[in-house]
Amino acid sequence: MPVEIDLSEADGKYVVRVRGEVDLYTSPQLRNAVTKGVPASGHTVAIDLSQVAYMDSSGVATLVEGLRAAAQAQRSFCLVAPSSPVMKVLQLSRLNSVFEIRETV
Amino acid sequence: MSVRGIRLVLDSDPRLLCSVRGLVRAYVGGLGFSPERTEEVVLAVDEACSNAIRHSYQGRIDRPLRLHFDAHDGLVEIVLRDEGKPLRKERVTRRRLKPEKVARVRPGGLGVQLMYQVFDDVEFQPGLHRGNQVVMRLRQPRCGAGRQTRHA
Repeated sequence: MPVEIDLSEADGKYVVRVRGEVDLYTSPQLRNAVTKGVPASGHTVAIDLSQVAYMDSSGVATLVEGLRAAAQAQRSFCLVAPSSPVMKVLQLSRLNSVFEIRETV
Repeated sequence: MSVRGIRLVLDSDPRLLCSVRGLVRAYVGGLGFSPERTEEVVLAVDEACSNAIRHSYQGRIDRPLRLHFDAHDGLVEIVLRDEGKPLRKERVTRRRLKPEKVARVRPGGLGVQLMYQVFDDVEFQPGLHRGNQVVMRLRQPRCGAGRQTRHA
């Protein structure tokens, strides 16, 4: 299953909506969207993960990379409504508490 | 699924990982593991393959990955063999994962740590002639017991 990534920006928020499976093959697309978004955003980078059917450690590493970049740029970075597969890999990685998680964008 | 053993050889192409996940899901799910536990195993085998592609084969997509699945005596054994560069010991050593401040998070090598989290036993070994071999084992659930997550 390919990954689909939609980008939008409104009210100072840069929103990355991800749909599909994030793995070694598809995570570079997510990395590109996230790293492009951090400097472009006004205040907040929001990654909507509600439609993600699968995520591996390369996806988690990409999220960590985005969080670090946002912290350096003094922007907030949050995950929106992570699906169960995303929560599962974050919990197994013991990284769920590192991210701000919101129910909606 | 009634089969107990599967032998599979595939190219080290990340585009094939999706198919590997489908096979692992069908195999492990057919052995009586809960859906949640099955998805953990799917993730861990995917991580093993990704690790071989990234580090043993350094991104080459035309090298062989050999996967063996067996279930016997209440034990499921999954073996992945590659013919790539030997993995450095420090890359496959188990680390303690714990919640940390983001500045201290080390995402590198996370996939290997997930394998340790999911399986009851993981052994990284040199390949018989060259490359690497990783043996991943987990206990099969007893009838009706519905093996649950082991990382809680």
